[in-house]
Amino acid sequence: MAGAGVIDAYVTALDRRLQGPDAVKDDLLAEARDSLDDATEVYRDAGLTEEQAQRRAVADFGPVGRIARDYQGVLALAQGVRTLRALLLVVPFTHAMWETSRLIWIGGWPAFGPTGTPPVWYLAIARANDWTGWIVAAVALVALFGGRLLARRGARTDTLARLAGSVAVGMVGTVVFANLSIVVATLHVKPGNLVLSPMVTGATVASMVILARLLVLARRCVVFASV
Amino acid sequence: MKSDALRGHLDALLLAVLDGGQLHGYAIIEALQLRSGGVLDLPTGTVYPALRRLETAGLVVSEWSTVGGRQRRTYRLTKAGQRSLVAERTAWREFTTVIDGVLGGGPWPAQA
Repeated sequence: MAGAGVIDAYVTALDRRLQGPDAVKDDLLAEARDSLDDATEVYRDAGLTEEQAQRRAVADFGPVGRIARDYQGVLALAQGVRTLRALLLVVPFTHAMWETSRLIWIGGWPAFGPTGTPPVWYLAIARANDWTGWIVAAVALVALFGGRLLARRGARTDTLARLAGSVAVGMVGTVVFANLSIVVATLHVKPGNLVLSPMVTGATVASMVILARLLVLARRCVVFASV
Repeated sequence: MKSDALRGHLDALLLAVLDGGQLHGYAIIEALQLRSGGVLDLPTGTVYPALRRLETAGLVVSEWSTVGGRQRRTYRLTKAGQRSLVAERTAWREFTTVIDGVLGGGPWPAQA
């Protein structure tokens, strides 16, 4: 069929310009193709040849560069929302998982040095680390609701995507900093506490793997919002 | 009518088109063109990201469903979308009343 590839070429060009979550991207492209097929059908019924109909449909849809910018905003925002939701659920869960593991396999911490209590600065870092998960979850929740309100006030999709990405990167950075701080502080004060129980060490490693995954998600927010 | 002039009103136009019930993307585009008498000159590809933004805002919801024997993503207003549409219509009536009072009345003061 002459010109049968006009829509294919357009959708392929659009596909190549987009970066984002695969499921959302596939969904957007499937919807775009549906729309182009519908428009082609209307023009064909009006008497145009298949090739003419497809060319008109593609022209109506818009220049691929301009349309790709709008679509990329949707993808970047989807990644931002996905990462904020992950922060909301995964960070408190990971903290609760680690604390539960510690309570089961270690119980109360053994005495720190001759006085039996750790230094004040160490306690401050430990308490801050305990609170970080909940604070990060709260910030993610506020960002999700705030983003929705901004969207209702007409905020642009790419602006929302950059905001969501910035919050996500900031919060993941906070969690990484808090986790590294307590590990380094424990190494300094009482390194043996890091290996009191293989199960708790395993929970620590699992937490680090989850954190690495969150870092990847946050990095993607920045990458997708910068395309 | 140029798309730049429409961009600021696109959200309200989409909500108004969906006021009649659930529609898929191309049906929304056709309704926009039909209801504007074919005057709206908007790249149809810009409608879909706008619909997704409205979905993020919680003003519409979408789902894949079978329409006319084909799988299509269809959109419908949420309760928040209906409330937003009422507010947009009220604001638009107030705006046009004010502008019409100034632009539509001929020279000022009225000449005898």
